[in-house]
Amino acid sequence: MLAQCDHGNAMSMDSIALLRLLHLADSALAIGGAAHSFGLETLAEEALLAPQTLEEFLRVHLQESARLEAVYVGLAWKGRDPRTLSEELSARKPARESREASVKLGRRFAELVNGILQQPLLESDLHYCVAFGTAGAALAIPLDSVVLAYLNQSIVGLISACQRLMPLGQSSANTILWNIKPAILETCSASCSEEMACFSPCLELASMRHPLLETRLFIS
Amino acid sequence: MERQDAPWKVVRAFRGPEGSALVHLNNVSGGVLAGDRLRLDIGVEAGASAQITTTGATRLYRHRPGSADSEQATNICVAEGGVLEYLPDAAIPYATSRHAQRTTIRLSDGAALFWWEVIAAGRLAAGERFAFDRLAIHSAIYAEERPVVRDDFVLDPAARNPGALARMGPYSYLATLYAIRAGRPAALWRELETKLSDLASHRTRQGEAVWGASALASDGIVVRGLCTSGRFVYNPLIEFWRMARRSVTGTDAVPPRKTY
Repeated sequence: MLAQCDHGNAMSMDSIALLRLLHLADSALAIGGAAHSFGLETLAEEALLAPQTLEEFLRVHLQESARLEAVYVGLAWKGRDPRTLSEELSARKPARESREASVKLGRRFAELVNGILQQPLLESDLHYCVAFGTAGAALAIPLDSVVLAYLNQSIVGLISACQRLMPLGQSSANTILWNIKPAILETCSASCSEEMACFSPCLELASMRHPLLETRLFIS
Repeated sequence: MERQDAPWKVVRAFRGPEGSALVHLNNVSGGVLAGDRLRLDIGVEAGASAQITTTGATRLYRHRPGSADSEQATNICVAEGGVLEYLPDAAIPYATSRHAQRTTIRLSDGAALFWWEVIAAGRLAAGERFAFDRLAIHSAIYAEERPVVRDDFVLDPAARNPGALARMGPYSYLATLYAIRAGRPAALWRELETKLSDLASHRTRQGEAVWGASALASDGIVVRGLCTSGRFVYNPLIEFWRMARRSVTGTDAVPPRKTY
């Protein structure tokens, strides 16, 4: 993904695209991602998810929910109608909190991008993955890079949430994130098939039960 | 009944409360065999009400080398104001079975659906847990033209462990109940979600059964459960169904007379 960098008068488009992608996929992007655990808080609360099982959990998550979202990033990038994609994805997300979180992040992402570009590029109330894919295409960022970046920032967000939920230090968190990169790449490749399949009932249930937790750090 | 071909058999409908029809589907071959192509079409006319159940679990038998995977396609249409309760017994995939199931349900304005589905990890008493080769489930529910539910998954235990924490974890039964009424407002479903979630919380016992409920994006609600044993599935499922039915239609659920 490293682009040629000409230290002459003009930067290459590849470098600009890379910089924009790094900006939009930054885990610190101010769209509220840090407020959501997507059900992980329930699993942590019930001691089902722990630092020693987190990496394996994320690998499976990449094969299921994350892969499905990667498919939608790709379909949005390829120009499918974002509104139709979002409606379809909503039907595939039975857990209300996680579904609403995805749309909330998408809304804030759209506001941010539209504000930066000073044009209404993205509709409101799209799922985050759909908005991300649409933005990537509009900014002429290659598809694979967009999908990889989306998946990476998604995993970074979940690991970051887990650091607040369990005794997971910076060193361990970074090791997990480093080790899981091949699985992220595998998920990106698998998403090319556009197969719409996801089997994650434990995580869905955790999200459904999240509103019932006595104390909550996260909105979802 | 317009048509029935073996192995499907429908005994005559029984009259239920308020003129509804109670229908039992029976697979006279005892189960689904390798290479079977089964098709079930159900239509509920405007204002009509039907409850459809089965006479026993759907056994997905072991695959025979050289045979195609078994398939079942179910197509359901419920017209304006109709009510369908589709309550089949569990599907039990035997060791080495290969099966695909596709269910498509279309609801007209005001039509109501109560549909539960229970999938077992296998013949647990025989020591079979995730011993099947392949199980593909494709489910779609539309309210008028809106996609309300899309649920597609393919289980291939040899390649991906269904017992992983992000999937089923230590549980061996997956139960799902959909309660849908086309055109009802979101506020109804949020209120029902609160009630069902409270019930789910009371019925959850870690290590036995975990239940949860959520309003769908539109037109309905879903209850999901993971259980370690079939003993923990149906009593709560019936409770959820009763609560949902009363809330959605204003009338009580009448469970089919069978032992779960």
